[in-house]
Amino acid sequence: MEFSPRYHHTAEQLHSEQLIIEAAKQNPEHFGPLYDKYYKQIFGYVYQRMDDKDTAFDLTAQVFLKALTNIEKYEFKGVPFASWLYRIAHSEVMQLFRNKKNLKTINADIGDLRHICEEVEEEYMEQYKGILMTVIKELPADDLTLVEMRFFEKRPFKEIAEILDITETNAKVKLYRILERVKKTLTKKSK
Amino acid sequence: MEPNFNLNRPPVSDEEINSKKDFGELVKTFKKQSIEKARSDVSFLKNKKVTYSAIIAGVAVVCTVTYFSVFKKEPPKEIAHDKITTKSQTNTNTPTSKPSNAFVAPPISKLNVPYTSYKVKAEQGGTIKHKSNSKIIIPKKAFVNKQGEDIVGDVEIRYREFHNQADIIAAGIPMAYDSAGVKSQLESAGMLDIRGYQDNEPVFIKPNKTITVEFASNYPEDRYNMYVLDTIARNWVYTGRDNSLADQKAKQAKLRGQHDAEVPANIETKKMIELQQQLDAIPPKIENEKLAYEKKVSQLPKASLPSKPMKATTGRPQFQLDVNYKEFPELEAFKNAVFEVGTENRNYTPEFSKITWTSAEIAEGPQKGKNYLLILKQGNKVEKLVVYPALTGANYDAALKTYESRFEEYKAGVARREANEKKLKEEFEAKQAAYVAEQKRLQAEMTQEQIRAQAEAARQLNQQIAGMSDNQKVTRVFQVSSFGFCNSDCPRAFPKGGSINPIFTINHGKSFVQPTIIYLVCVDKNLVFTYDNSGIAYNPGESYSVCVIAKDKAYVCDRETFGRCVVNKENKLPVKELDSYEDANSLKMALGI
Repeated sequence: MEFSPRYHHTAEQLHSEQLIIEAAKQNPEHFGPLYDKYYKQIFGYVYQRMDDKDTAFDLTAQVFLKALTNIEKYEFKGVPFASWLYRIAHSEVMQLFRNKKNLKTINADIGDLRHICEEVEEEYMEQYKGILMTVIKELPADDLTLVEMRFFEKRPFKEIAEILDITETNAKVKLYRILERVKKTLTKKSK
Repeated sequence: MEPNFNLNRPPVSDEEINSKKDFGELVKTFKKQSIEKARSDVSFLKNKKVTYSAIIAGVAVVCTVTYFSVFKKEPPKEIAHDKITTKSQTNTNTPTSKPSNAFVAPPISKLNVPYTSYKVKAEQGGTIKHKSNSKIIIPKKAFVNKQGEDIVGDVEIRYREFHNQADIIAAGIPMAYDSAGVKSQLESAGMLDIRGYQDNEPVFIKPNKTITVEFASNYPEDRYNMYVLDTIARNWVYTGRDNSLADQKAKQAKLRGQHDAEVPANIETKKMIELQQQLDAIPPKIENEKLAYEKKVSQLPKASLPSKPMKATTGRPQFQLDVNYKEFPELEAFKNAVFEVGTENRNYTPEFSKITWTSAEIAEGPQKGKNYLLILKQGNKVEKLVVYPALTGANYDAALKTYESRFEEYKAGVARREANEKKLKEEFEAKQAAYVAEQKRLQAEMTQEQIRAQAEAARQLNQQIAGMSDNQKVTRVFQVSSFGFCNSDCPRAFPKGGSINPIFTINHGKSFVQPTIIYLVCVDKNLVFTYDNSGIAYNPGESYSVCVIAKDKAYVCDRETFGRCVVNKENKLPVKELDSYEDANSLKMALGI
């Protein structure tokens, strides 16, 4: 399984981004390059978790407005600015789902389900599709977020950890436990 | 509630995502939100009665300022002279210099354009010659004090000029012009600032008097207006058309016009003469080649088309003739031929065969090689018949064979001629093309030489103009009826067509400066646009340098760097701090103007 490198930056890129952030703290007009750079990624993150495209666009706008409003508080911690935006997006999405639970959807490809099977060392079979979908739907919100990020968005653990503000090891352990439960359910239900 | 599960949902296109991006709207919302927040903060302050503290703090500041004002020592008085004297002031502050929020606010005091101080006897007046060769003509009894009483004794005239963009920036002169709501920026042909003092107290120009300044300007164009700066209304006030250049302009135009007329007509270098001779020689060469080609073609052997033998027509009247084949070689193929009388002969009657003709001659017929004219004579009677050679039996077969063989020879001859003609034509065309190419090359060289010669002439003219003494430069005449800033300007529209929202970087992009003010400097015009810390608009066809002021330091982005950044749509503008803050000239050099 290949993971998206879109998030990673070289030291030079991080420095360059930091300059823009510092300038944007002084003048919101300078926020433009960051907006251009991350708009698609943040929209993708939001829309991945819902069906309604318009709501996803509105929420994306809200994420950037929050970011711009709070940029003075932003502190560079050696990770891309995107992690901060994702955190805002995650918080906004979770807030929305708390108010409107019916908006939450899970979006995946068949290939993603195959990857989950590979991870739990089970050969993918057609009958697993429905079982896997049910198992995933029943996951607690935090666990579902981990599965979505790892398998449906193909994010590296480092990135997941930065977005969720947990350690990389913690992210791995949590996901391992989730997959153990998935494996048990698969074995049980396929019999 | 369990979420829905979608499998293989189609992705959203980049076009659709991009169509929803609207950074302008984001900033607008942000600003609106900030304003609302600020208002609510004000309400908070009011509600919490924090204003009392602010008032107390304000009172403390006012008291401090008042203390310093009251106890500040008077500056030393100038020593009086009995005639006009001059003294350059190193201190750029004047008693009327404004606080930092003044309308005319030098961004960095060290760079400010200094005043030069002169003294004049108020009751006598006089003429002051400034170092720029400008003249300040002061009439006698021209000054009054603030009570409106005539000034007697020495008056100090403080005077300075602004000739370029660096001077404008260094002195902090606002060049924005608002004409009944139409906003523009003033392009200057020269600006001055003149003040009068007695014992460090400002004096005023008497209402019916004017000071005349004959200003030595570097800008010879006659397209400027006169303005004075109203620092209270914070705007320039139009006072009239600048017509003071009439004589100077005519003089300059005459000089320039003469020269412009001379450049294309009279310049003829040795190289141009040689080139013209070479060019003139080419058309005759082409003509000669053409004649030679045509001659060669005409000399090529021509193949003659053999006549096809005709079979005799049964029943047609015929004559048997002895033919001299040397005279008619084409008839050799018709040996033993008979000559059929053509149907076109209306004069022929069957009686002709019964007449014993004393003479029968054959000549070329109306269709050469195909028919002949048979001339029959008997006494005075002469009959002419068109006859066709025709053969019968074995003679026809033999003749046809001979014809076919000769026709093949004819075809081969035609092909040979065509091949030779083609070869000659190609040779001619190649030579012609070579001459045309040579002609073009010489013409291009001629054009280059003409351009070079004209540029050289222009350079010499510029050298001549640059070498003129100052009093040959244009003089703009200002009639000053009140002290302050006077300007000869023309309003210019704000740049448009390109914009950049720059981040000014220093130390090879490792850090950035946060400017309080940005000056966009037109390199080719005496024009400066001022921007706060937001986007810069520019005309893509113009050259600009940029000067930014941040924390009492001046930084410059030169024209090459700025040009490169806007072309590459790079919003990080590298700037360099001034090497020296000696005077406005330091800034001028850094800006490359």
